[in-house]
Formats: sequence, C-alpha cells, structure tokens
Amino acid sequence: MNGRPETLSEQDTPRTPAPGVGWEEFSRELVEFFASIKLAMFLFLFIAMTATIGTVIQQGERPETYIQEYGEDAYRWFLRLGFTDVYHTWWFTSLLGLLCVNSLTCFYKRFPAVWRSMKQDKVNVSLSFVKGMKQQAEVTVPGTKESVAQRLAQHYVEKGYRVLAKNEGGEVTLYATKGVMGRVGAHMAHLSATVIVLGGLLGSYYGFQEFGVCLEGQTYHIPRGNFDLKVDKFWIDYHENGSVKSYNSTLTVVEGGEVKMTKTITVNDPLVYKGIWFYQSSYGDAWDQIEVARINIKDKETEKIVKTIDLEWQKEQTLSDLKLKLAITDFVADFAFNSTEKKVYSKTIEHANPAIKLTVNERSTVQATPWIFYQFPDLFEIKDSKYQFELVGYKPKKYTGLQIAKNPGINIVWIGSTMIVVGITLSSFIYHRRLWTKIIPGADGVTVHIGGTTHKSWIDFQKEFRKLTQTLRSFQA
Amino acid sequence: MARSLFLFDMTFWLYLASLTLYIAYLFARRPAMAFAAAGYPVEDYDERDGAWAAQLGQVATLVTVFGWMVNTAALLTRAFERLEHSGTFAPWSNQFEAMAYVSWAIILGYVLLELRYKIKAIGAFVVGIGFIAMGAASLLPYRYQTAEPLVPALNSYWIYIHVSVTLTSYAAFAMAGGLGVMYLFKERAEQRGSTSRFYAAFPDLETIDELGYKAIMIGFPLLAFGIILGAMWANYAWGGYWSWDPKETWSLIVWLIYGAYIHARMTRGWEGRRAAIYAVFGFLMVIFCFWGVNFLLSGLHAYA
Repeated sequence: MNGRPETLSEQDTPRTPAPGVGWEEFSRELVEFFASIKLAMFLFLFIAMTATIGTVIQQGERPETYIQEYGEDAYRWFLRLGFTDVYHTWWFTSLLGLLCVNSLTCFYKRFPAVWRSMKQDKVNVSLSFVKGMKQQAEVTVPGTKESVAQRLAQHYVEKGYRVLAKNEGGEVTLYATKGVMGRVGAHMAHLSATVIVLGGLLGSYYGFQEFGVCLEGQTYHIPRGNFDLKVDKFWIDYHENGSVKSYNSTLTVVEGGEVKMTKTITVNDPLVYKGIWFYQSSYGDAWDQIEVARINIKDKETEKIVKTIDLEWQKEQTLSDLKLKLAITDFVADFAFNSTEKKVYSKTIEHANPAIKLTVNERSTVQATPWIFYQFPDLFEIKDSKYQFELVGYKPKKYTGLQIAKNPGINIVWIGSTMIVVGITLSSFIYHRRLWTKIIPGADGVTVHIGGTTHKSWIDFQKEFRKLTQTLRSFQA
Repeated sequence: MARSLFLFDMTFWLYLASLTLYIAYLFARRPAMAFAAAGYPVEDYDERDGAWAAQLGQVATLVTVFGWMVNTAALLTRAFERLEHSGTFAPWSNQFEAMAYVSWAIILGYVLLELRYKIKAIGAFVVGIGFIAMGAASLLPYRYQTAEPLVPALNSYWIYIHVSVTLTSYAAFAMAGGLGVMYLFKERAEQRGSTSRFYAAFPDLETIDELGYKAIMIGFPLLAFGIILGAMWANYAWGGYWSWDPKETWSLIVWLIYGAYIHARMTRGWEGRRAAIYAVFGFLMVIFCFWGVNFLLSGLHAYA
C-alpha cells in the first residue's frame, strides 16, 4: 500500500556490472549493506531481544548470588557472555555502534534525494508516468489548457501545495508537492541515534557517579570540584498517615572559605554547583555514632533498677545521688574486635550487634570503660562497682546518602533526544504527497490526467484524491 | 475515595454495555457485500445498515460516549481526592489509576476514530480492549485501588507528563492491537468465503490495516517522548538519565519492536496479515512492559 517513492521519482539507473571487484563496486556494496533496512530491522530486533537478558538476570550482583540461583556452570557461561553486566559488554555496545553506523549510512545514502526533491522541480514527466501511478484519474473538462491549469494550480496552492508548471509541446504539466518535512524528520531521527550515543560516551568517559554517606554537621571535601560541602541538617517529613513525604538535606557549598550557596535538597530536587549534581539518594542510621542512649542502672545486690537515665553522645552526666559520672564515648553498630590491632570496629553498617562504650567514674575511685551490649546485658561486669549498667535503647544518628554525579555529555543527550522526538513526530504526522497533472487539449475541452503518490497514509490520500477529482469535475467553463 | 471508586465501577459497567451493544450491532447488520460496488466510498456504509442496526449503532456510540464521560469524571474525582490526601493531582499515580487512564485514552481514541471515519464495526474490538483494561484494573486488590500518598521519588511534577504521555502511547498501541485482531478475523472470514453478516459489517481489509498503522504512528513518537521525559525525570531523581532499570529497558524494547515495524512497513511492504500479527505481538509486549515488569521483575519502577 505504501508506494515506493524512490523508485517512482528517481529514474533507476541500471547498474552495469563491472568486471572484477573494483573499489567503487565494493564501496557501493558496503554503503548498500550498511544503509539497508534489513540491517536496521535486524539490529532493532536483535537489540530488543538481547536487552531482555538484563531484565531477567539481575545485573551486577555478587558471584555467590548467581551461583546460588543458577548454579556454577551457568555462572561460568554468564561470565563468558557478559550476562552479569549485559549493557556494558563489548558485543552489546557494538550493536549500538552498528545502529549508529546504519542510521548514518542511511542518511548519507538517502538524504540527498530528499534534499533534491525539496530543491528541484519534477515537472519533466511523461504521460505514461502519470497514468502509471497507483492513484490516478482522467477527467475531461471544458476550457483551454491554460485556464484549467490556472484554476487547478490555484486549488493546489490553497491546499498547501507547492506547485511547479510547464507549458510545452501543446500540453501543460503541473507538479504539486507538500509535506517533504516528514521525510526530513525521519532523517533527523536517524542522526539523533548517533548524537545520543556520543553524548552517552562523553558522559561515561568524562563524567562520574559517586555515592557519599554524610553525617549532619560535618563538612566534606569534594576533590573533583575543589570545594567543600557542609551537611547542615537531614530530616524526614511525613504524611498524616505516617508514610514518608520527603527526605530533606540542607547543604551548604563552601569554596575558598566562602559560602557560595545553601539549598535544601529533596529526592526530586538536587543541588547543582559547578556542573556537579548532589542528589538526595538514601538515608540511614550511622554505624559509629548515636544521639542518645537510655541506660538502666541496677544495684548488683538487690538486682533492682535504681535509676534510668538518658545519656547524650559524648556528654558527661553527673549523678550526685549515686556518686556516678557517666559518658558514652564510643558506639559500634555491629561489634567486632580486631585482636592484632586491639581495636573495636563495626563489622557492617547494619545494627546487628550494637554496643556502647561507657566511661564510668564511681566515687572517683572506680574508673572503667566497659562495652555495654544491647543484646547481651550480662556480658561485662565492673568488679569494684556497686552497679550494673544496661543499655535498653538508643537513638542512632541519621546519615544522609548523597549521590554525587557529573555528566558533561548530558546536554548532547538532550539535543539528540529533542531531535528524535521532533524527527519522529514530523515523520509520523506529515507525509510527503506528490501530484502530477497533464492537461492535454482534446476535441471538447481538455483532458486532465492526474496521478499522485504518497509516502504513507494512503487512506487520507485516497480521500484527498477523490475530493480533488470531484473539484475538477465541477470546473464547468 | 469511595466516590471515585463508585465512578470507576460505573465506567466498567458502561463499557461492558457499550461492548455488548457494538457486538450486537455487528450481528444486526444485513449482509452488505453484494451491494458494495468496488471502490464504494467508505463513508456510505451507514446507508446499507438496516434501520434496526443503525439505531443499535447509535445507542452503542451514545453509551460509549457516556461511559467515557463517567470515566473522565472518575479520573477527575480521583485527582481531587489525591490533591487532598497525597499532594499531587495526577490521577495516574498507581497501577489501578494508570489502567483506568489507559482505558480512558483508548475509548477517547476510538470515539475520535468513529467520528472521523464513521466505522462502528471497529468498536467491538477497540472498545473491547478498553473494557478489558478497565476490568483488569477493577480486579486489582483494594489496596492497589486507593489513593495512597506518593513515595518521595514519585512526588514531582514530572509525574504529570511522563506518566500520561507513556500511558497514552500504550493506549495507541492497544488500539493497533485491537485492529490487528480485527484484521485477522476478517481475513480468515474472507479466505473461507464466509457470508456471515458479522464479517460483512467490517470495513475492508485495507482500511483496517491502514488504521492500525496510523495508531502505531501515533504511539511510536509518544513512546519516544515518554521515554525521554522519563530520562529527564531520572536525571533529577535518580542521579542519571539512564540506568537500564527493567521498566526503562522494556519500554526501549517495545519502542525498538515498533521501530522495526515502521521501517519494515515503509520499504519492505509489511502490511496486511503480517502487519496485523506484528501489531498483536507488539501489543502483547506492551502489556508485558506495563504489567509484567511491575509484577514479575524488580527494579526502580517497582512502585508503579
């Protein structure tokens, strides 16, 4: 149904097979191959098929995860084929590259014809050419060829066509065309693939993406931008029903000791400074600091709780009635001990086995710094002390997870994106229509031969053509 | 919440009614093939209907338009409910609302198509898909149907445009899928030389084929636009415009599938049967992208 306008409009030059394979022959074949729709379709469908792999197999997981789920043999194959990171394998990238080559070659090969049809006239056609069109009609109307041509041309112009005319050899030929922008749009979309890929490459070579865990009140140096970032505050807003409304961090950019800007970022509203974007990405409980802890003080003899106190982080509290001075000097979320370095550290960032280090000063005679475990209250005992200390709860300090990214290719990607959307839209809704008319004087009046073709959207064109012939029939003198 | 749910419910029943009427309309038409001269203008199909069929057709159209208006009212009511409870206006913020919006867009597309081309027989297929979309939505558990507040990642003005554009493209592909099924029915009937009045009421194969192609030509740029809006949103929310998240990837896959179709049609003459089968296949992929990814695969779009 969709005509092949190329074969209609361009006179096909018969290819003369040259003896032997010359460079010219070879390069022509090469262009032919790379510009071919066959290759385009193969790439479209093959990329579509292979892209599914990464949505079924989890990407970028640890080896154990794959082995557990798929077995060792399968995992070995995954590694060989790059299935654990499909979208960055050499073969997937090559497919994308090939798609660029494909669309560029297509542009190189086919755009000149579109350009010519924008610039050149196509008036020199034979009667048999007009009659051979898929959509064609023959109408006899009264009048001279000039007057009919005049009216018809005016009608075309009213319909938005560009008209070219020729009065030669006893007949008038009209050529009317519109909507070539639709085909320009298609080529714009072809170019956009390469633009987007170039933008992506630029981003992946000169950009970066990092993740930072930042605590309130701390200042962090951003070496890539040579400035400092201070995290003033992190908090969470809630909806009435208790679900999270937004995560917020107030950040201040300090450069050369000078405050450059302050902004509260939320999930959809990053801070941008010197091309570096700071996103609110996650949050969590710090693993080495807490805000406050609640401690039960038990009398060892009576086993009764004599007092419950809330101790703030690294602030000494004096309990004169018990003759105690207490302070929390350290915290780990997941207790572990390095025996060679004799150091306590947090094994993970999970709060799996939290413990605080309590500095105890009793009657100024007993001094101790025991680790008090949340889950194992009886683990430590201070020998000379009257009391037993229990950690009954704590409020961890929150950290804010910031995604830090710079992508110098982003604007090129947006240019390519605009091109693809505009290009496809043009080519979808505007279609290239061409009408040829031969007006030949006959016995009574003139015979008008009209033939037309469209790039696509045949029904609309048929309708338009029908209306056109009706209009033509109404040309009464 | 109850108000919009009631309206959504009503929409469902109205679409069921209009689907039934369109099917009845097909059966009520007289066999017309004998009267149709070659090249007979499409617009004049109505003349060959029996009076009874014409009336049925009119009622079907009226019920469809009414259903669509109720659907609109339901979405608007939901929008105001959302404004009260969750700080956004967009009535396509969860799976249920998205489905209801897709069926709204399908029915709107159908009504416009009927207005323009005056072919009622398509209703049985395209309204059918709109009805199924609405039905699938109402089958979702109640907790999916309510307007819960948005998670922070979704709470952005991007949701207005990214989601609606993408869903509209799905609706266009759904229409193409419905037309594809219709084409295959009609073709099979023609091959068997069926004189059933049911098939006689269908527009000719070329028209069905071309309309299906048109629907895809609307969906294709919309999907491209929707994907790019999504990339822009991701650049604001996730710290990168493309992260090969399953939903992203699947929408790209769908886009590539239709891209292949459009190229094949332009120059390799993929039309008729092949195009119809492909349109149905493409629509199945859209369904997977819309439903399958949400329920079967995990990823950043898990909330939608």
